Amino acid sequence: MSCVAHNSASAAAVATENIYLPKLVVLDRVTDDIPEVRTFYWHFEDATEQAKFKHFRPGQFAQVSLFGIGEFPASLPPSPTEEETFFTIRQVGSCTAALHQLKPGEKFAVRGPYGNGFRMEDYYGKNLVFVAGGIGLIPLRSCIVYALKHRDKYQRIQIYYGSKTPRELMYLPNLREWQQSSGIECYLTVDRSADSWSGNVGVVGSLFKQPGVQVPVENTTAFVCGPPVMFRFVIKDLLAMGFREGDIVSTLERYMKCGVGKCGHCCIGVAYVCVDGPVFTYEQIKKLGEDI
Amino acid sequence: MKARILEHGDVLKIVDLLREQGHEVFAPFAGRGRDTWFDLVTDENRGRVQVHLPNPYYPPKRFVLPHIERLMKVRKSNGDIQIEPTYRDRKRAIFGIRSCDVAGIWHLDRFYLGRDFRDLYYEKRRKNLFLVNVVCTDPERDIGEECFCPCADTGPAARENFDLQVMDLGDEFMVVAGSPAGEAFFANPMFKQATEAHVEKRRAILGEVRKRFKTTTSWFPATVRYVSQGTILDKTWEEIGSRCLECGGCTYVCPACTCFTVSDRQIGPGEIERVRIWDACALSGFTRMAGGHNPRRAVHDRRNRRFFRKLAHYFIQRELSMACVGCGRCAAVCHGDIGMPSVVEMIRRATAENDKLQPV
Repeated sequence: MSCVAHNSASAAAVATENIYLPKLVVLDRVTDDIPEVRTFYWHFEDATEQAKFKHFRPGQFAQVSLFGIGEFPASLPPSPTEEETFFTIRQVGSCTAALHQLKPGEKFAVRGPYGNGFRMEDYYGKNLVFVAGGIGLIPLRSCIVYALKHRDKYQRIQIYYGSKTPRELMYLPNLREWQQSSGIECYLTVDRSADSWSGNVGVVGSLFKQPGVQVPVENTTAFVCGPPVMFRFVIKDLLAMGFREGDIVSTLERYMKCGVGKCGHCCIGVAYVCVDGPVFTYEQIKKLGEDI
Repeated sequence: MKARILEHGDVLKIVDLLREQGHEVFAPFAGRGRDTWFDLVTDENRGRVQVHLPNPYYPPKRFVLPHIERLMKVRKSNGDIQIEPTYRDRKRAIFGIRSCDVAGIWHLDRFYLGRDFRDLYYEKRRKNLFLVNVVCTDPERDIGEECFCPCADTGPAARENFDLQVMDLGDEFMVVAGSPAGEAFFANPMFKQATEAHVEKRRAILGEVRKRFKTTTSWFPATVRYVSQGTILDKTWEEIGSRCLECGGCTYVCPACTCFTVSDRQIGPGEIERVRIWDACALSGFTRMAGGHNPRRAVHDRRNRRFFRKLAHYFIQRELSMACVGCGRCAAVCHGDIGMPSVVEMIRRATAENDKLQPV
């Protein structure tokens, strides 16, 4: 046997786990969210895999395999405190299109969870401000549900969420529930109004200036996720309010093949989004050395 | 490390011994002109294996990371799916791998076997691979126009990470064992006792050979510093990017590049294979996401990426190994002359131009 390099302490250890091998899952049901976006509820064929997977953190992601088409990374919108595992996927490329074709009972494959995720225990005792645009609510949903489940651990919880039109508001049943819940302040806005819409019209940032809205700045972490344009403007607003760069966190997305820091596609500057991220503070994002 | 002496005519007996042990042995062969390649040694071509010849452009990286490698086979029938991972762990040996390429494989080891996730496919190939390093000593035949291993500190004689190292001392070969498996070969009586005089001769030859390199980039460490600090101006990257033809050739021949893409393809009715294929950051599709958004659309951003990944201190520290081994292949194949030595030179020149002197 020849000399093999080992970074880890256990020089004799031989990898037994195949990091590229996905495990089969069964599609349970599909719900329509907004145009072109559906939620896919699924479970692992193997119950032990399901139990292992359930230890994921909010903000982590998984690799979804549609054999014959390919594999893609998908955020995990459920909170680990919830029973069901599901993905919310927009039909945008060939893999996601194939997933949208699947019928309940049919199988595909998943591996993960991957990435750093949000360390929700780091935010104990703090105010949480969630700012999301469009399908940017998908990765933040996990944190929100988690935080509400552990409501006593956090101070104020606020959600500022905007979409293009009222029809494109994600997770409407959740939004209604959050709007009515006393433990959470949930503000919604749309870019373009429709007749049925009586709420705010304007970009997400316009919500901060609404009468009666008060964004806590001290002892607060802001979670921002949405399209690049929204991200830029919201960051500007938050910094102007007095948020520190280290108290603004976001989750980034990139073209990915492996999810485990090997294929090289998701690198931004010095960081592999798949293993060093996808969650970064704005302070870290600025230091990556490349545009996001 | 232990060293022995081998008679000139006996060097290919190492190939024979490896084959007797059940290894598939790959060695470099020469074609017309500069053309050389690694090929499987058979009874028929064994006599044509060469020790002194230009290093093949197609690097031996493929013996641990094949150009196209099947990861798994998937069978679909009646809604059921069966996934079968496909491994290859045949015993293999490379005879005549150059020091730069030994460093390349070392870099891949650090990358694929390091950190939180270990690559099982890579590991199975790697632990079955025996490396016989040949030291480049012939300035005419071994050392190419673009070789710069002394600047990358990988050669001409590798210091570690081989099993056996063969070096031509003129009248005979010196063989160094770099692993227990390599040292086991010394049980064969053809390996003779070495003396202090042999060690001295080896040192003298290496001292001479180092002076015979045609490409030198003494600015390599400075470039590492400037790339790490991010002080290289955008216009310098734009100048470098404007010369890139986006062919991906530099990555194709690089012994230390690691990136791959994954693709599913139909191989029969209801049967699919998932393969990984070398990928290149020079290609515009490398970062393009479904839906069309491409965060690294500009050519110069992609070129910046290549050199940042290879030279930034952060990555050198991350793998404790640098992703450039000084083999010079990128310089040999690049149509736009932006191989590593040229880029180092362009950065040197740009930095010198930034000295804004005011004559008074």
